[in-house]
Amino acid sequence: MKRHSRTAALFDALQAPLPPRLPPSPHIESPVRVAARQLWAAVRLQPVPDAAGLQRQAGRALHYSSRVSLAAPDIVLLEVRGSLRLFGGLGSLLAQLRGHFHQVGVVSMAPTALAAVALARSGQRAALTDAQRLVSRLAPLSLACLGWSAQSLARLAAVGVVTVGEALRLPRAGFAQRFGHTLLDDLDRLVGRRPDPRVPFVPVERFAVRFEPSYEMTGNTALLRELQPHLLALQQFLLQRQRGITALLLSLEHRQHVATRIVLRLAVPEHCAQRLSSLLAERLRQVVLPAPVRRCGLRCGPLLEAASDSAGLWQAGEQGGGASAQMPAFLENLRVRLGAESVHGLSVSPDHRPEHISRVAEPLMQALAVRRAAAVSMPWAPGRRPLWLLPVPQLLEQDASGWPLCALQRLQLLAGPERLETGWWDGADIQRDYYVAADASGARLWVYRQREGQRRWFLHGPFG
Amino acid sequence: MPQVSPDPRLEQLLQHPSLWRGRSIAPQPVVATGFAALDQALPGGGWPQRGLSEILTAHQGLGELQLWLPALAQLTSAASARWCAFISPPFQLFAPAFASAGVRLDRLLIVRPPQPLWATEQALRSGACDLVLSWVAQASVPELRRLALATEQGLSAGVLFRPAAAGRDSSPAALRLLVQAQPGGLQLRVLKSRGAAQPVINLTLPA
Repeated sequence: MKRHSRTAALFDALQAPLPPRLPPSPHIESPVRVAARQLWAAVRLQPVPDAAGLQRQAGRALHYSSRVSLAAPDIVLLEVRGSLRLFGGLGSLLAQLRGHFHQVGVVSMAPTALAAVALARSGQRAALTDAQRLVSRLAPLSLACLGWSAQSLARLAAVGVVTVGEALRLPRAGFAQRFGHTLLDDLDRLVGRRPDPRVPFVPVERFAVRFEPSYEMTGNTALLRELQPHLLALQQFLLQRQRGITALLLSLEHRQHVATRIVLRLAVPEHCAQRLSSLLAERLRQVVLPAPVRRCGLRCGPLLEAASDSAGLWQAGEQGGGASAQMPAFLENLRVRLGAESVHGLSVSPDHRPEHISRVAEPLMQALAVRRAAAVSMPWAPGRRPLWLLPVPQLLEQDASGWPLCALQRLQLLAGPERLETGWWDGADIQRDYYVAADASGARLWVYRQREGQRRWFLHGPFG
Repeated sequence: MPQVSPDPRLEQLLQHPSLWRGRSIAPQPVVATGFAALDQALPGGGWPQRGLSEILTAHQGLGELQLWLPALAQLTSAASARWCAFISPPFQLFAPAFASAGVRLDRLLIVRPPQPLWATEQALRSGACDLVLSWVAQASVPELRRLALATEQGLSAGVLFRPAAAGRDSSPAALRLLVQAQPGGLQLRVLKSRGAAQPVINLTLPA
């Protein structure tokens, strides 16, 4: 009974009309007022830079404002209202900006970010500060400067709309219906009717240091000793940012020869100077320096989120304790000494050709529990597969009757044939009859006979 | 050996805690081999999970790896599984056979170093491996001793696959087996073991 009444109450609640939306809070500033308090400078870079170039220019722009963002592919945006007083007023700031960027681009200013972009893209070196005059200033600009797709521009041009002013004059509802809400939102952002939050540009931080030892070094031990304080500085740098690195470049410059470059790659983000030092020592042991080292450079790769683990209660392998902490370190030790390709994992690919099933894979670092669900789906029948496979099938001798021989003894066929006839689609097709055979000593072998041509016998792998 | 020594003084002496006899050594952790005959024959009832074992064969690929397959499946599918490393295997590992035997492939690590001994020691010592299967042709007693110590440090098990001729040399391994193929299965001779083991084991391998 009680249950029924509760259901009824829920039903009523669902039927009831929604409460009215909350009225806008008076404390939240309207976009127009926000726009009036902002001043954006857009630097249009010419020629269009690559991603790294854009990042570099954005880094330079950080000199003038802490609020810098990027508008790919060629615009760096700065919010400069907060910088006006520091740089001695608008005129002075603009002059400095233009002086700073005069080789690379056009600088324009406007109260909204999009307006600044539009002015810069249309090549106008304007400095517009008055939000009231924004629309009249933008009206004659071509719509092409808004960065809309060619298709949208063509559709607008088809109804005779080519300038910003003409687009702004169109009725809003109709505009949204015919050309989409995204374009209408863009127009609103352009004139400051909508807020235009921008993703702030965060400069890429790298630890890079170049130093000249007091004498030319020949030995690795001396080199490591010189590196030690810089590795400690790197550790400090990383600890302050709670980050780790997975790549470290050490370049050693010589007087006559090309610089020796040593790249250290790590399996997980690392910050410990001692560990980096021991890995570098391992790498340096394999390197033969062509000449004494005059100058060293140390540069780290991108900073990554460092996973900080608490220490385990049990030692790895004790009481069933896992080894998540030891596994990456072990792998790095091996790879630093042997090269990345000498250490690998194993995986299965869905193919019937024995040569293609077994694949080399990147070893898995995480604990097993994480990937419990990833079961292997096997397209082949279980059993009767050897543990070993020869890299290249080995041709077997035959006796007069065509029976396969191994070490001059007739093989005994225990099971088979199992026909594998597949792979026609990529040119590596096989037509084979596989047998399980036993040699004179009783060891089991996986052999096959070609189904075409000379019908020769091959050994493909011992069962092991 | 039958129980002789009615002498009460000897009995009293044998009760002393600092005296121990071969048959009463502390039990070592083992992993079941998956073959009933082998489990019965080996001391502790399985492959030792700590320390060094040696498998000696006349040539490679006669079935010696199959002996470890059930143990591999068991070790790799444990919740806290570490790696099972293959150091310088003589051929390519054929993944489907391992997968269909229940071995988790993502716990296998294959290493092909120029010096197998170095990599084996690293793997055993690191604590990142449960089992290290290593194909080492040449190893001196001090080197083997070093590997045995590494297993204690990393709480791991090392299995060395070596030529049968190596059986003549002494070795610090806890278990040494000479494996020979015979029709329908394998014959294992226990050359050395920690604790009492059946000297000759005849195993039938599944077809």
